[in-house]
Amino acid sequence: MELSSFIIFLAAIFTSNILLTNFLGMCSFLSVSKEIESSLGLGFAVVFVMTMTSALNYLVYHHILVPMNIVYLQYIIFILVIAAFVQLIEIIIERFSPLLYYSLGIFLPLITVNCAILGVSLFLIIRNYSFVQSVAYGAGSGLGWLLAILALAGIRQKVKEKFVPIGLRGAGLSLIITGIMALAFIGFSGVVIIQ
Amino acid sequence: MLFGIINTVLIVSAISGILAFLLVIADLVFANYGECKITINDKKEVKVEGGDSLLSTLNENKIFLASACGGRGSCGFCRCKVTAGAGPILPTEKPFLSPQDIKDDFRLACQVKVKEDIKIEIPEDIFNIKKFKAKVSQIKDLTHDIKELHLQLLEPQEIDFKAGQYVQLQSNKYAKIKKSVSRAYSISSSPDKNKEIELIIRKVPDGICTTWVHEYLQEGEEVNFTGPFGDFYIRDSKADMIFIAGGSGKAPIKSMIEYLSKHKTERRMVYIFGARARKDLYYTEHFQNLEKQFPDFTYLPILSRPTAQCNWNGKCGYAPNYFDEFIKDPKNTEAYLCGSPGMIDAVEKGLKKKGVSSENIYYDKFA
Amino acid sequence: MKETPQEKKIRQNLQESGISPQGFLGEDERHIHEIVATDLAVLERLGKTKEEIADRMEFFSQEAFSHYDGNVIIDQIYEIEYDTVRGKIPCPFDHPGLFRKGEITLNNLHKNLKISWTPLNIHMIRAHGFFEGKGAKHRLEPKDLIEILFK
Repeated sequence: MELSSFIIFLAAIFTSNILLTNFLGMCSFLSVSKEIESSLGLGFAVVFVMTMTSALNYLVYHHILVPMNIVYLQYIIFILVIAAFVQLIEIIIERFSPLLYYSLGIFLPLITVNCAILGVSLFLIIRNYSFVQSVAYGAGSGLGWLLAILALAGIRQKVKEKFVPIGLRGAGLSLIITGIMALAFIGFSGVVIIQ
Repeated sequence: MLFGIINTVLIVSAISGILAFLLVIADLVFANYGECKITINDKKEVKVEGGDSLLSTLNENKIFLASACGGRGSCGFCRCKVTAGAGPILPTEKPFLSPQDIKDDFRLACQVKVKEDIKIEIPEDIFNIKKFKAKVSQIKDLTHDIKELHLQLLEPQEIDFKAGQYVQLQSNKYAKIKKSVSRAYSISSSPDKNKEIELIIRKVPDGICTTWVHEYLQEGEEVNFTGPFGDFYIRDSKADMIFIAGGSGKAPIKSMIEYLSKHKTERRMVYIFGARARKDLYYTEHFQNLEKQFPDFTYLPILSRPTAQCNWNGKCGYAPNYFDEFIKDPKNTEAYLCGSPGMIDAVEKGLKKKGVSSENIYYDKFA
Repeated sequence: MKETPQEKKIRQNLQESGISPQGFLGEDERHIHEIVATDLAVLERLGKTKEEIADRMEFFSQEAFSHYDGNVIIDQIYEIEYDTVRGKIPCPFDHPGLFRKGEITLNNLHKNLKISWTPLNIHMIRAHGFFEGKGAKHRLEPKDLIEILFK
């Protein structure tokens, strides 16, 4: 059954949230989710980069790797494309929008190694998405990631002032919270299945 | 087989090559700001390489704005007027700029990046600020925690400053300190001696620069400093003068009084120096000798906490206790204060109560 | 754990010779967030907020600033002494502004306990919940601090 791009977009946000169902991008998810403000910055950077790189990697895969018969090199090539793209964007933003650079620029280097971004590029190949579907999936996954990190940051900001047993402080409690959030998101899973 | 391997390697290299090429192009096109023009006060124009902060670009062109934090945007000293080409105000600058400042185009030079032609307005005095290379000709102990540093100028060989101004001394790296810092110290010698300056440096517990001066700096070493900065200097008038200093606040006042002694003044002067105990007093003889060179100058060291060992039979207490005795004509008195903020606040209050107008009170708070 | 660029900068500032030669961390090897969280938990247990503590420290500091040089005694319980030195220090968390150097010593005469802090400590407690790392020169143990600051 051919899924519409919009459904994929919604599913990527809620039912197949890249973070809460695949647990990808955990590293920056745990370390930058201390404050709402910086997690929002990182979240938007992820949305932007994920959308753009899923489009780019779709094109690279179908127009370079497949014709040349080197599909097995997709990992290396995807990583290269993502890294180069992030670097390019950083240079451009710095030039044209100092304000945006101030708020987003510092997060861009962190994203280069965010595995959720590579994950999205790989999933869209495995699932045989069309170009439009790929972009929708990339954007949706980005928004889903943003949603998840915002939720965690909100909770962590509340927890910060409270007493937490010593053994659970830091990553421990965050992982438990993430787990409970993931359970909650299972509630959406009956709506649509894309994987 | 071999062909396949070479082919694949070539393709991967080509793709990485293209990506690298794109980045290089982007770097050349976007990150290269080319030559920019900085117009200063609508008169002077300097051509500079764009891409760096305004503060460091100006520094490279031998225009030195004051800066205590080294461009991290936390001191706000490098505030200056940028009338064109500065771009939007960054969140890092906002805390330092009042709404009026923003209306008047004030910016922090360390946060403004030079990306296009820029127009700035700075006070003319700033052109007098230079970077000096000097040799440490002498280090002398004044008290248990204060040293006098003599710096013989090497490059340029002369300095032009007003008595009371300060310089920013650059520390070298030492021991675990891997960064050079610059700190402000008042010049304690008279402007008449323009080939050498003296600084009085009190050891600050955990101070990066003072620890360096006190424990690592040797006679004969070369150091760098920029200056002169500051608007704490003697106003030219006929009014009586009262100088009040505490701790290492003696430096600018010493410079002022030595300058006045060379330039014959009839002004009535008193200098109150506050210290805690006798071991904190220094230059006492020097100032007692100076007393004789003026028609009407009193040097009054006072101790706030003399101990039995001090064997002190001079005056005790705090400066304001002696205002009645020494301020004869408050309306016609200028006050020059240098010391800790607490001391300045207390003394200023005392002076105003006595009737000295606030326009005539000049001070250098330890900052 | 991965650090954001800001966290990295803050950590470098806090370490030896970043801003102060001794640094603010002492021998504490915990992550800064852990240091803060542990101390805030102690406050929670003792029923004080970091703002209350900072306010109280600010109050004593202001008293000390307004009396130049000498000791001040408040309510016949608190003896404050302030040793000024020249210069200002920036906040290691890259907050704007500079803080006066110098040390304020508070002596609780009733309990015969003494503690010293700098104006920067007040800011770091209020804005960042940071009482410095264990073994740092101006580490303020929240328990002791509360004991001395409040009657």
